[in-house]
Amino acid sequence: MKNPRKFIIQKFTEYYRDNANKIPLPTSYKKREFGFILSDKGIMLRHKAFSEPRFFRDFIKLITPSDVYHSAAYYKHPSREMGKKEWIGADLIFDIDFDHISTPCTEEHEYWTCELCDQAGVGKQPSVCSQCGGSKFKMVAWLCETCLETAKSEALKLIEFLVNDFGFPPQDVEVCFSGHRGYHIHVERDEIKQLDQDARKEIVDYVQGTGLKVSLHGLMPVSRKTGQKIIGPDLNDPGWSGKIARGVYDIIVTYNLQQLKEINGINKNIASLIFLQREKILKTWNTGNPWGSIKGIGIKTWEKLVEISVVNQAVSIDTVVTIDIHRLIRMPLTLHGKTGLKVVSIPSKSLERFDPLRDAVAFNEGTLKVYILAAHRFRIGKEIYGPYERETVKLPMAAAIYLLCKRAALLTD
Amino acid sequence: MLVSKEDFAKYPFIIGAVDYVKRLDLKTDELSQPEFSAIVTRAEARIEEALLDGIIKWESRLGYDIELLSYPVAIIFVSNIADNYLKKRYALAESKRIQALLKEDVDEKLTEIAISIFGWKVKRLPLEIYQPFDFSLSFIDYLRNAPNFHDFRWKLVNKHLINGEVFLQKDEFSRLISEEVRKHIENTINTSPKVELNPLLLQRIEHIKQRLNIRKERIRIKEQPRNIISAAYPPCIKNLYDYLISGQHISHVGRFTLTSFLLNAGMKIEKLIKLYTPISDFNQRLTRYQVEHIAGVRGSGTKYTPPSCETLKTHRLCPGPDELCSRIKHPLAYYRRKIRMIKK
Ligand code: SF4
Ligand SMILES: [Zn+2]
Ligand SMILES: [Zn+2]
Repeated sequence: MKNPRKFIIQKFTEYYRDNANKIPLPTSYKKREFGFILSDKGIMLRHKAFSEPRFFRDFIKLITPSDVYHSAAYYKHPSREMGKKEWIGADLIFDIDFDHISTPCTEEHEYWTCELCDQAGVGKQPSVCSQCGGSKFKMVAWLCETCLETAKSEALKLIEFLVNDFGFPPQDVEVCFSGHRGYHIHVERDEIKQLDQDARKEIVDYVQGTGLKVSLHGLMPVSRKTGQKIIGPDLNDPGWSGKIARGVYDIIVTYNLQQLKEINGINKNIASLIFLQREKILKTWNTGNPWGSIKGIGIKTWEKLVEISVVNQAVSIDTVVTIDIHRLIRMPLTLHGKTGLKVVSIPSKSLERFDPLRDAVAFNEGTLKVYILAAHRFRIGKEIYGPYERETVKLPMAAAIYLLCKRAALLTD
Repeated sequence: MLVSKEDFAKYPFIIGAVDYVKRLDLKTDELSQPEFSAIVTRAEARIEEALLDGIIKWESRLGYDIELLSYPVAIIFVSNIADNYLKKRYALAESKRIQALLKEDVDEKLTEIAISIFGWKVKRLPLEIYQPFDFSLSFIDYLRNAPNFHDFRWKLVNKHLINGEVFLQKDEFSRLISEEVRKHIENTINTSPKVELNPLLLQRIEHIKQRLNIRKERIRIKEQPRNIISAAYPPCIKNLYDYLISGQHISHVGRFTLTSFLLNAGMKIEKLIKLYTPISDFNQRLTRYQVEHIAGVRGSGTKYTPPSCETLKTHRLCPGPDELCSRIKHPLAYYRRKIRMIKK
């Protein structure tokens, strides 16, 4: 059987031959560092800089990288080694990847490949490889619809934070599908370029709800003449105060008795009390003070509910990416070496309608016969394929390349 | 708005005050003349107050002119002495004086300083609607200084943030301005041109230096474990250490570097925590957690070593290598070699 890697490189070369000229370079590209993963060796080539778009385009046509990146940072000397680049500033970036989000669908996307031979399979890795006897495996991230949807809804949540809380104009918030498991969000505005790591950490903590103290949002017991009373934030409060109130409101509206009882740290009797009194609590939310409305629901209970509401509303991001002011990010319209899909930039208002498995397909032409070792069900475009096990199938090019990139299939002669 | 002599004396760093002083066109030579002795005495007192109390008093009784003019003179003295600890301590003490004054001053003056001197985006809020908040400040400007205050109250996640603006009460806003003032003054000291001083003034400076040395010695005895040889610290660590004991902000990487260095040099955890906590806003529990984590008694159990010179350079923590630096690649290597050199 032919070497699938050579075939992938050939297809990537064709892609760049036809599309390199359409790849937009980022703003101030002369001040950015570019990085490439070399397809044949799998190593990263860094510290490249280009003085004109055509040099960049000629370069990718020449080397056919498997992955292409540019720095979120601006440097005086982008092509020098790290210590000598002289950092000028950096865009604000976020990475949402379902590595960092727990989803209920692990079974649908667990996949392994043997590190010594070309064996692969769905589900948990075996203890020894049936083909070569090896015991080292690589877990492969399968593209799972549930995970992709989750990542998208996290991205939408993040955009809401960036627009409503941080006040960035929506047109300055760029969303990119990474070509694989998630989204990057990229804010490019002069005033944020100088933010240091500590400041970026604060932004990360904000969107993740880290370090949030409920008492600083007004939830606390106060002494009144009539005795102790609990007060708390209002539904319309700005920032996290309002989010907390709305989040707790949602829990009370949507949780059934069972769900309330399952909350760790809330007594079963109190859970029933919340359930029985929900009408009354909800009514006081418009007219009075819900936090103090029911005798028997104490501060500890409210704090527990707030905790859950914070988790529900926070965004899961890869914190390191945002704090690292030298980070490289993928470039729109370049390919992702692990899928053969392309990176796609999406205006934030169209994200809702974006379908990564349709809109990021790069290889639209032709079909290819491949021998599939094993594959979960997967979708490319409108079609659903698989599951497959040890069979030869003729597939549209994008689906075939996806399997080859995942090392789930081999070429037939 | 900020035009009275009283304002100038209170906030001597504002443009109006600086211009006013410039127009008087005083020469440093003239300062030793008797009619200026009150000014020089007050300048010396400012520095002394900074050293002893950590805050400079607002001395309006002496008259606004003396109070105002003693400020640039004190800056000349401090920059002439060129001691890192003194520079930082002085800037901090001035900023504390200013913070106290701002809190009592009218709102417009706070916004004017923030806008015209520092270019911040800030608005006064109509009180009736936004109670208990007085100002709304762009989160970018907020984050310039707030992360330096290590307390949950200052975390952005605990603030009201809407449409890019952080809602603040007056005392919080005063604190943020004063932190910017501190940096501003430090910068003024560091960039002020070197001036020749006549013998009379040099005498005054000698006197301040003595006070400074007593003060530094006292800190050393109090806070420095004996088995650690501070004279052997590499320049990067010396710098961070100076920052720490003068209560300045240190970045995450900086704190990690200093902590792991001192632990590796043999400082005891308790000592190290004590070193961190008396200072400004360091939160005792957080500090303990971080120090113990780096020491490896928590979490993964690995004891961390400080980053290499190369990494420190990328994080701009290397103040520029000295001669010994050129022969090593790691601050701990510097330390070990230097100790050997000292002991010889
Ligand atoms: S060269 Fe290394 S040891 Fe010397 S100051 Fe720089 S970082 Fe510290
Ligand atoms: Zn095998
Ligand atoms: Zn999944």
